[in-house]
Amino acid sequence: MNRAVRHARYLPVQKLEISLFPFLSIFLCVMGVLSFINVLNSFSTPQKIEMSAQIEQGYKVAYQVFNLPDGIISVPPTKYLNDLKKVLDDDGKATLDDIIYKRKQMMSSLQAHVGPIKQAAIEPDIDDILEMLHNIRMVNELALKANYLYEEFLLFGIYPNGGQAYQKIRDVMTFTQDSASITVGLEPLDSNWTLNLKSGQNTNKSSNHISNQGTAQGKQ
Amino acid sequence: MKDLISLDSLTDIVSNSVGILIIFAVINLIHDNNKTYQLEIPLEHPTNLAPVFFICKNERILKMDTATLFSNAALQATRGAAKSKQIFPLDFKGLFGKIDKENGISFYVNDTSEWQPFQNIEKRNSAIQNALSSIDPKKEFAYFFVYDSSTDDNANASGFESFRKAREYLKMHFVKSGWQPVNDEAPAHICDLSFSPRCVYLPSYLGQ
Repeated sequence: MNRAVRHARYLPVQKLEISLFPFLSIFLCVMGVLSFINVLNSFSTPQKIEMSAQIEQGYKVAYQVFNLPDGIISVPPTKYLNDLKKVLDDDGKATLDDIIYKRKQMMSSLQAHVGPIKQAAIEPDIDDILEMLHNIRMVNELALKANYLYEEFLLFGIYPNGGQAYQKIRDVMTFTQDSASITVGLEPLDSNWTLNLKSGQNTNKSSNHISNQGTAQGKQ
Repeated sequence: MKDLISLDSLTDIVSNSVGILIIFAVINLIHDNNKTYQLEIPLEHPTNLAPVFFICKNERILKMDTATLFSNAALQATRGAAKSKQIFPLDFKGLFGKIDKENGISFYVNDTSEWQPFQNIEKRNSAIQNALSSIDPKKEFAYFFVYDSSTDDNANASGFESFRKAREYLKMHFVKSGWQPVNDEAPAHICDLSFSPRCVYLPSYLGQ
């Protein structure tokens, strides 16, 4: 064994040193960007809301009307009407069938809407308002007549600049007898709150109740 | 030979932790997107309580001194303001008025600089806190005319946030409150029910 070979054997082993700096740099950059997008998304994503009222007996059902600058979006309840139909006489069933059919049509057209749901708002027509009030009254009277625990009431959600549509409906309500027996609730809504159409047909029996009385943080 | 400290373990721990955190964040986000918040909306109730009126606009709030406003409006009415339906100054905190048969006295807001910022509701002994505290829950309730208009689609720019804050304060003091949205086209108005069926001011609250 010559001297050069012996010398090479005792040389320290040259480990392959890879600098982690580029990896860490890219990794942290990606994490930062992802976190930023996440935070941004949580602020900008509209919060889905559903309006309800605290009713002890739990048989009252909300007819939701969202008031936007461009008009209103009506979310009529349909879920419990089939149960109500079972206890009605033939005339009542025919009347209720008609109401259910119209409400399902309204919901279908809303659910078929493509794009932001707020764009589905339509200018409230006086005849439509009168029909809505008449139908609510009819349903309530049919339920009362059949001694069935069911009552519909109107809930207005007012978005910024949505007061005009609300004023129009209340004006009509002032001068029609149909609205005399209808309970009303109203609440200011933030512009980033959007409505949930799937559960819009439910009643206030759902869990996950959040009180918004007196605080904007009620949505938390 | 440069003696480098190995960062392998540290990098391993950091990347694992951050990865798990990101998975949690994504799950949370997906969950949040599917979540529906249920707002409990107070319902209007008939009452024998007398309304104490407030106006909320531009993050500011004003208690309407109805005695002063009505006497100033009456003075204007004697000068023919009711006949001509003209808008006249009420000499009260930037408010202007109009008298007509449909709405009684309508109130137009010209300037809110003299009104109290809604943040003062929480300030001890501020004018607005004193005004809210002076409401007797056995005899009175607060009724708010809340401006819904905002230029930048932000609820804070309207009167919504002021109203929410005031309602929260009143609720803590067992005072009932009601409200209606108003704007420049449909301004706040006060009249008697015998005058028009529009003149209804009801408190809204949860429960029966």
